[in-house]
Amino acid sequence: MFAAFVQSSLIRLIPVGMVMLALQRTVFVDIKVSGVTVQVVLALAAAAGASGGSERGAVAGFVLGTMFDLVEGTPLGSTAIAFTVAGAAAGLLALIAADPQWWLKAIFVGLGCAAGEAMLPVVRIFIGEESPWPANMPKVILIVALTGALMSPVLLPLSRWCLKIRGPAWTAPAEQPPI
Amino acid sequence: MPLYTVGRRRVIIALLLTGALLLTLDLRGNPVLDTVRDGFSRAMVPVEQATDVVTTPVQRAWNSFSNYDDLERENQALRDEIDRQRGTQATAEASIIDYQLLLALNNLPSLSGIETAKAQVVGGATNNIDQIVEINKGSDSGIAVGMPVVNQAGLIGKITQVNATTSKVMLVTDPRYSIPVEILGGTGELDAGEEPTDTTPSGRTEEELDEIIDQSIADAEAADAAENVESTPADVFEDEVPLPQAGGPNEATTTTTTSLPEAVPTGEEAPVVTDPDGNPIDAPSTTTTTTIALDPDQLEKEFGVLQGRGQGRPPQVRFLQDIPSLAVLQVGDLIETAGGSQSLAPPNIPVGRVINRANRPGVAGPLLEIELNADLDKLNFVRVVLFQPLTEVAE
Repeated sequence: MFAAFVQSSLIRLIPVGMVMLALQRTVFVDIKVSGVTVQVVLALAAAAGASGGSERGAVAGFVLGTMFDLVEGTPLGSTAIAFTVAGAAAGLLALIAADPQWWLKAIFVGLGCAAGEAMLPVVRIFIGEESPWPANMPKVILIVALTGALMSPVLLPLSRWCLKIRGPAWTAPAEQPPI
Repeated sequence: MPLYTVGRRRVIIALLLTGALLLTLDLRGNPVLDTVRDGFSRAMVPVEQATDVVTTPVQRAWNSFSNYDDLERENQALRDEIDRQRGTQATAEASIIDYQLLLALNNLPSLSGIETAKAQVVGGATNNIDQIVEINKGSDSGIAVGMPVVNQAGLIGKITQVNATTSKVMLVTDPRYSIPVEILGGTGELDAGEEPTDTTPSGRTEEELDEIIDQSIADAEAADAAENVESTPADVFEDEVPLPQAGGPNEATTTTTTSLPEAVPTGEEAPVVTDPDGNPIDAPSTTTTTTIALDPDQLEKEFGVLQGRGQGRPPQVRFLQDIPSLAVLQVGDLIETAGGSQSLAPPNIPVGRVINRANRPGVAGPLLEIELNADLDKLNFVRVVLFQPLTEVAE
């Protein structure tokens, strides 16, 4: 079991997630764009989906969301579900292109962030919270998505390293003997 | 390759179900999950401290980039406002002391007998839904879940999670927050139909800030020497500062009028005052103070429940009877905590003022929207009122 843990991607994802959580709770609490808190941990989950596919993105989102719930004191599982959706959505979107350009991946990350942010109040409704929607929900989703897309050039390589994903190795086709 | 395979779907569904299971276990209360949460929070402390140290220059750079102009104007306006309010502070404090003495004389509960713990806000809300901040005091300082948290302006929230050295404070604006309050009917002024305006963090409009600054400049030019008062956070939050407490609604009000000797223009000799016989009289060198007792207004209280509504929405007061014979509720009325054996907060902590009233058909009673006294966007030093309701003390 220990060997499986060491060999899995969690051995990298958890410490990176802790640093990202610390950044979220220190820097990004102050850095607000038009009054909206930038969600860097959510963006990392979406980036994991965009670079590793929906399955890996969902796993990364679940782990990061659970860590978020543990630190923040929010109901355990509520953020995990939303981040799982973010990672899976970004991963599913990434399937439409075999080798997407960087800007296309940034769009996938942004859309994944939007899905995750929109999912947060939905989960809260299911656990009985009254009116969990912020007054400016469309603006919140838009800004979280845009900032997630802007951070993707940094977060995509980081998520690839966390999930131990190697870039595609292109090989030249073997020369065909003349017929 | 199929875009959406059964294997992928199974993993995602399994993760979502696991999340739902964790949610169910946590909401029902699970000691194992609480232990895990506490352990992970402790593990995060050194990481956060290191990150905070490393990223402090970034935070400062961002703050100076985004807030400098607003803060400078705000600071100038607030300094002038402090000077104006300093004059009325002494009278207000005397009234509060009289009120406390009367309460003590009649063996009534008051805030003066309740201990508090000073704390500083060290973390804000990290998502866009919860209205929760973190303070740097915990169970080691006697803080427990449910205790109210105030600052100099009034109520700001309650403790919802306590660790040894830190606590989480749910702000009044959180949708899960509710507390019994009383509305002092008749303290407001009727200003129906007034359109909401864009305001600065202090609640003032740009025009009002400009007026204050212009007035301040004019006052400074008129005065011979302007007094430059520097204040530090320690001054603002010294031990002698009393808890914010509203006075009794029906207590007598006194108005103090102070007459200062007229100023003599610079470069001119003081006029010689003589009696009817022509003998010179010494001009008065002291001030004259006249205190006039005003008839107390018979204010009536109405009780309701204050509930937060999330970011960007003012809290509401519900479950009001609105019987005109008891109290006429209107815009501007003061709101304070009601206390009571079931309430988590003692009575008479000021909360805010009514800014909007919505009438509902039937017996539902009106809805009141309130503007909080405390500016929840700029919290720094706060006090945790170490108060436990009578029901819990008895246990």
